[in-house]
Amino acid sequence: MKARTGWLGITLAVLGAMASVGTLWMVFFWVPTERTMGVVQRIFYIHVPSAWVAFLAFGIVAVASGVYLWLGDERADMAAQAAAEGGLLFTVIVLTTGPLWGKIAWGTYWTWEPRLTLTLILGFIYVGYMMVRSAAASPEQGKRFAAVVGIVGALFIPLIHMSVYWFRGLHPDPVILNPEGPTADWEIQATLYAGLLAFTLLFLGLMTLRYGVERARHVLELREAA
Amino acid sequence: MIRRTLASCLFGLALVALAGAWDGLAAQNANLGAQRLGRPYLFVFLAYAIGWGLILGWIVSIARRLRSLERRIDRD
Repeated sequence: MKARTGWLGITLAVLGAMASVGTLWMVFFWVPTERTMGVVQRIFYIHVPSAWVAFLAFGIVAVASGVYLWLGDERADMAAQAAAEGGLLFTVIVLTTGPLWGKIAWGTYWTWEPRLTLTLILGFIYVGYMMVRSAAASPEQGKRFAAVVGIVGALFIPLIHMSVYWFRGLHPDPVILNPEGPTADWEIQATLYAGLLAFTLLFLGLMTLRYGVERARHVLELREAA
Repeated sequence: MIRRTLASCLFGLALVALAGAWDGLAAQNANLGAQRLGRPYLFVFLAYAIGWGLILGWIVSIARRLRSLERRIDRD
């Protein structure tokens, strides 16, 4: 089981790494410079895939947490923990690359605009998810509390996506997932899709390897308890 | 075996990503026209460097934890 998980993780991560190299080539050599924003628009190709992966990760956390609360399956908790760590990392990338773009486009690193604020809160929720595990009276209690936090946190995902429509803010509207269909040039769309694929594969691979860490820890705990 | 493959992939990816970012940004100089040089380039470089730095850091962290746990399991 350990070897199978390891090779699956390695395979997905290597495919993701190869796709990432291809995406970097597209970003810096192939896609034309966007007319209005100029070269700083290239941050979009790391910012949007990171946001997608963060949402995917927190979706996995919610589903796995639900399964853990329902069935009490330890593997679901391990999967949730692995996904939460990756989701938090990609949220940090979103919250770092966004302000770098914002400084050039808006003239400020940060503004308490609805989408930015909600994304920051989402990041804090998953920091809380990590902390709750260690702060609880017992590991089992920590896992249950964390599962509840994971499910509640995922409710922010549709809220963040819809915030640009519901609230008046500075954040640009989606250029792909909008009601009128994609509005960006095809080269921009192709580069973005390549980035989405690359980061998705990379995340799934690394999450699988991270799950392997939890499996190994679980085996060790069982041995020590025996 | 898994650790060695992971380390090789990590190293290769880091080299290609750095080379791609550096050469690519330089190559764009020719096509920029009205684009001002300086800050936008620096910010694009910073965004990719921070993003990939964090991802590579996560890879290293996973590999180290996995290696440490596997050692303990093998020892026991």
